[in-house]
Amino acid sequence: TFRAQCGLKKALPSRRRKAQQRALLGPDGGDGGSAGSPRALPAVCDPSRLPHRLLVLALMCFLGFGSCFCYDNPAALQTQVQGDMKVNTARFMALYAWYSWPNVVLCFFGGFLIDRVFGIRLGTVIFSIFVCVGQVIFALGALLNAFWLMEVGRFIFGIGGESLAVAQNTYAVSWFKGKELNLVFGLQLSMARIGSTVNMNIMGWIYSRVQDLLKHTGHTTLGLALLIGGITCLFSLACALILAYLDKRAEKLLCKEQGKTGEVIKLTDVKNFSLSLWLIFVICVCYYAAVFPFIGLGKKFSFSFFCSVVYIISAPMSPIFGILVDKIGKNIIWVLCAVVTTLASHIMLAFTFWNPWIAMCLLGVAYSLLACALWPMVAFVVPEHQLGTAYGFMQSIQNLGLAVISIAAGMILDTRGYLFLEVFFSACVSLSLVAVVMLYFVNHLTGKSGGF
Amino acid sequence: MRCAGRRMAAPALGALLLLLGAAAVGGREVSMQYNPGWNGSSVNVLHVRAVGRSDSLHYVWSSIGAPSVLLVATRSPSSALSIDWSRLLSPAPAGAVWIEPPGSVVYAAAIVFTKLFEYSKADASEVFYPTYDLSDFSWDSINRTVNHTALTAELRGVPTSDPSGSFSNGSLAFRVTAYGSGGRDRALPGLLHTANSSKVEFVLTGAAPRGNGSRFVLEVATVEERGAASRLRSVRSIDDEYTPTIFETLSLVAESQNDSSALSFLQWKATAYGSQHPTRGDGIQCHAGGLRAAGGARPRSAVVRAYFGDGAGSAYGVSAINVSFGGEDGGAYREKRYLSWSALLGFGPPPEDTFSPLIISIVAAALGAPLLLLLLGAAVLLCARRRRYSEYEPIN
Repeated sequence: TFRAQCGLKKALPSRRRKAQQRALLGPDGGDGGSAGSPRALPAVCDPSRLPHRLLVLALMCFLGFGSCFCYDNPAALQTQVQGDMKVNTARFMALYAWYSWPNVVLCFFGGFLIDRVFGIRLGTVIFSIFVCVGQVIFALGALLNAFWLMEVGRFIFGIGGESLAVAQNTYAVSWFKGKELNLVFGLQLSMARIGSTVNMNIMGWIYSRVQDLLKHTGHTTLGLALLIGGITCLFSLACALILAYLDKRAEKLLCKEQGKTGEVIKLTDVKNFSLSLWLIFVICVCYYAAVFPFIGLGKKFSFSFFCSVVYIISAPMSPIFGILVDKIGKNIIWVLCAVVTTLASHIMLAFTFWNPWIAMCLLGVAYSLLACALWPMVAFVVPEHQLGTAYGFMQSIQNLGLAVISIAAGMILDTRGYLFLEVFFSACVSLSLVAVVMLYFVNHLTGKSGGF
Repeated sequence: MRCAGRRMAAPALGALLLLLGAAAVGGREVSMQYNPGWNGSSVNVLHVRAVGRSDSLHYVWSSIGAPSVLLVATRSPSSALSIDWSRLLSPAPAGAVWIEPPGSVVYAAAIVFTKLFEYSKADASEVFYPTYDLSDFSWDSINRTVNHTALTAELRGVPTSDPSGSFSNGSLAFRVTAYGSGGRDRALPGLLHTANSSKVEFVLTGAAPRGNGSRFVLEVATVEERGAASRLRSVRSIDDEYTPTIFETLSLVAESQNDSSALSFLQWKATAYGSQHPTRGDGIQCHAGGLRAAGGARPRSAVVRAYFGDGAGSAYGVSAINVSFGGEDGGAYREKRYLSWSALLGFGPPPEDTFSPLIISIVAAALGAPLLLLLLGAAVLLCARRRRYSEYEPIN
């Protein structure tokens, strides 16, 4: 089954952190002016005390759970979707492509929408509603046997999904500061991955229970299973509403401002991007394009739960790698290691019938390492006022690459088979490797130092 | 006189032309003949003759009795098939088919398609429906379907007695394609063929399944001479370029008992397809197994008995395997009522797939480019560093 790394794409936290910390943690800090509340509240209800903030942390984490759970629903039910809706792999992959298309444009506007148009509270609720509605339309498409409706549902889901991640991070920066932020981002990332893992393991079971209930398999079974999965989105919407209420209450009690992303996007900055930055873009696009290597590998090896292995491994490894890379620096060497490891595991998957455990574990480690090392590199090559634009652009072309590669991979599998697909992915990773090598030499030759 | 002269010149010229033709193509000259030596069309005998530079191969397809093909390799490029029709159509056909000159025969074998089983799985048990015995079918005349340019023909039949009426709208067919040179089929399963092989495609269309989720099993028997034994080989390969998602190729090979070299083969990919122009999604699971020696059984094909004689056990051996079609639920056939299974049969060792040049070049480029770049960059760096150091002049 196809896996797009929902949790792995959300490596944003480490990159937004630097931009937002500087923007928000001025002399006012995040919770200044607590002298305005003479009433003594119980610890859980006092926004300046830890237990309340832990409650808010829990809500923030579960905010992203629903969207990450439902993002990978097609992958968890790939055989069922292809069988019940009678589509080939290329059309199936369109379900992922449609998620990425709106984000090619939206990631430039996410910050703007949250800061200027909706505000963080209303924005979060609106995006959660988009996620819910999208998932419901997706399930409706299955119930009515209309694949085009499923694609529309994924499009709407995509509008909400990525922007919800931005909102989640903004909440985090608003409520926590300093060293706490690392832990908070790490927890949010882990929740996202837990959501994806739970999805992989549960949706199949839900489908078979619905099948037992309805006594036959078909598009109605699929639609019902997807609706049941959509309950998690309702749960996330509830979290968004409660968070909005608590945030508004904290604002009144602590006299703090509504959280802002603090991002400034100026598209004209693109022409000033340096060669190093473009090379980083190439690395990002080519690498994440090869992040779909799990298509039907379950069928090839008759195992279908290997896909969860990558999530399970990256959950504990991400914080470890984060600390390691922060302390040691030399990001580019880490990126090189990660890309070489990924290339090795792709070649293993392509050319041997070896037990896929080895390759999948290697892949999990490599992805975590890359996420921790690649995104912070952008902050080293770009002046601060362009950071927002650079990250926005990077996310935009990443989504573009993902959308295009999903469809291409589906077509390749249908016409040329697994071997060709794996060779194609290996070629993508190799292109990424070429970019890393070039980046190393460009960096060396231009004499730039600064941590990498 | 002129006639005699022409008659003498013609064979020599013909042989020369054939030699030149074979040399130019690098393959064989293939010709197809329907019922050689007989004018009737109530029975089907299709003789395919593939002539090479110094040898010739004969494939004799027939439907008298069970549908079968007789494979004969001869060391003479001018060997010919002779049929005694009156004996062939009699109840004792032994000796009715032979090759002229008889001493030129190097190897002979036969493949007979004997039965079609149908079964369905109800809970844990299997329910077998009455077998379709292919020797009790009535066949259309091949003559109408022979295509001499494309070298194809189709043998189509329905059971003579059909109590359940399942073949009222359907038929069972064997499509034959002869090859004069090596190459690969465009259509799935994209079998690679050589000049020493032919393709047979088993097609079941329109036959109503008698159960919910019926699966079909085709019984294939091989007849091999004394000194050869049949073996079922399975080759797993990572290369699925030409048949996406199918990684297994099976072959039923007749091996010489002396040195285990392959004398003739029946090769197929472990898949069948459910539509006329199949794509990857039309694949139907295909398994094969149960290779067993059929002991003293005489194959119910007249041409095979005519060539090999009736002395079963001493002159020749018979083995059989079952090829089964259908996935876990057998649903693929029920919807489209189309099943197609292709196999390659021929002489010598079965052809082996290799990686296409495209894959090899992509992998070479993908692995070579970063390495090259690394070396190049290291060289450039060393040069730059040396130049930088050389700009320094010693102080004293």
